[in-house]
Amino acid sequence: MTMAAPTIRLLVCGSADRGDDGAPLAAVAHLLPALTAAVRAHLEIRRCVQLDVSDIVDVPDGEACIVLDTVVGIEPGEVVTMSLPELAARAATITPRSSHALPIDQVLGIAEAVRGGLPPGAFVGIGGHWFGFGTMRSRVVRAGLPALQAAVTDAIDALLVLEKV
Amino acid sequence: MPGTDLRFQVQNISRVEGEGSLHLLVRDGAVAEARLQIFEAPRYFEALVAGRTPNEVLDIVARICGICPVAYQMSAVHAFEDLFEVEVEPATRALRRLLYCGEWIESHALHVYLLHAPDFLGYPSAVELARDHRDLVADGLRLKKAGNRIVATLGGRAIHPVSVRVGGWSKAPRRADLLALRPELEEALSLARSTVRIVAGLEGPAFEREPRLVALHHPGEYPMNAGRIASNDGLALPPQAWDQAFHEVQVPWSNALQSRDSDGLPYLLGPAARIVLDHEQLHPLAREALDETGALESIRRNPYRSIVARAIELVHATAEALDIIDAYLPPDAPAVPWQSRPGTAAWATEAPRGLLFHRYEVGDDGLVAAATIVPPTAQNQAAIEADIATFAPSVLGLPIDAATHALEQLIRSYDPCISCATHFLDLSIHHEATELVS
Repeated sequence: MTMAAPTIRLLVCGSADRGDDGAPLAAVAHLLPALTAAVRAHLEIRRCVQLDVSDIVDVPDGEACIVLDTVVGIEPGEVVTMSLPELAARAATITPRSSHALPIDQVLGIAEAVRGGLPPGAFVGIGGHWFGFGTMRSRVVRAGLPALQAAVTDAIDALLVLEKV
Repeated sequence: MPGTDLRFQVQNISRVEGEGSLHLLVRDGAVAEARLQIFEAPRYFEALVAGRTPNEVLDIVARICGICPVAYQMSAVHAFEDLFEVEVEPATRALRRLLYCGEWIESHALHVYLLHAPDFLGYPSAVELARDHRDLVADGLRLKKAGNRIVATLGGRAIHPVSVRVGGWSKAPRRADLLALRPELEEALSLARSTVRIVAGLEGPAFEREPRLVALHHPGEYPMNAGRIASNDGLALPPQAWDQAFHEVQVPWSNALQSRDSDGLPYLLGPAARIVLDHEQLHPLAREALDETGALESIRRNPYRSIVARAIELVHATAEALDIIDAYLPPDAPAVPWQSRPGTAAWATEAPRGLLFHRYEVGDDGLVAAATIVPPTAQNQAAIEADIATFAPSVLGLPIDAATHALEQLIRSYDPCISCATHFLDLSIHHEATELVS
């Protein structure tokens, strides 16, 4: 049997050992078994401890991507979904945590210029409360994980619908 | 105007790693005060490693920086192995140089193409640069990726690698794993040589000074993990003895400790220092590239030429990485056995930004009791401030935006990593109440 090529790259940012920074990893770990095999066949999961320009540049033409990260600038546990261009425009107020070498607007801006456009896709973020090395995830972010999983599922569904269209 | 103070405040220095600002006080036309204010919060890593085993420390200190985690692992592992008298296999020694090559490539490519080049080419950031020079930035990204691939192959992941262990590795790579890196590195070497030609032709301000330069020096190899601490005025100390010649000082305007030499003066670390002190140990291809630029003297005197130094080191690191891969035979075992012993473990290695010193007190229980970590950016702060004070008068007549840009550009020449510099813990407790009672 030949598997369909993945068409959505899920870029899962953060570190599990830095408190709420690990929320995206936890969400995806719980989410994947709940998806149907047909949906999972469309996904390629990539761990990005920190989102690099190349992570976006390397998304092939014809594929989409969803960037998943913990953010500051919204209430802890709150979940946001937006397009990648919108994220770049709002980087001063909603800041993904997993972008160390360059701020997220520059990561996306450089990728857009080099790639000739951002890939279709979305950013899904959850507000973090603490990020200390060696700390557990906060209660409020643990409580927000189901909403984060639901938002990722919605983003995947939206891209798959788009693909069919 | 006589008798007036003029204050420059660059609130957030852009295109550096971390958060800092610059405060400049000009009195009667002369710079009275130049302060690089590092306000990124302290990160307490020296306290985090207390009570940990040496191997746990290696994984913890890697988390200090997402750009130069290998440097932290290398200084720590060499310190412990020196104390425990561990002799690693030659293959392990070569692999550690290869890992460091990977880090130098990714860090230098990031700085040359995405942080520093926009200054020389007249762009506010790499985004605008990429819009006009897409292929140039794409080349830089490919170079960076080649470095990341080395770190991922040896370290298990590109950021915060996890395979370095006292005595060797948790898992040594197969020869095939390394050979798979070859095509990408061959392209990277070609890109690195092009990078030298490009950046050697970039025009920067004609600012010159005579810094005291400090770097490791090894007679048989370009310095990474071994060598004596050397300077351009004759210093020669073993890598355990950093604190015989240098010391940390706290200043009220910075969350990072500064460093001074024994005369209380600043000194400069990094690629320019290495190139000046160690150019004879460069890989032949890098030496050839340096000779073609004729830039050795300008690298020593002009901080803006550090971009050339980094490009030369890109050539060195990619060329040496290929040599190591070609000669690689896996070690008999990933790690040699070792036995802990109490005492002081200390060592210095060459991070992309310069000499990184670690010292650990290991107790009878085999756990770390205390740690001192002195990163290169913290050591360079005083030299940066001194250079700013010297350079600033030349831009005081410019409009404020232009002066601010020129000062930021100077700071970026040192590639400061502020996140690294604020790892320290400085704890002071006053037992005033107790004293009153007693």
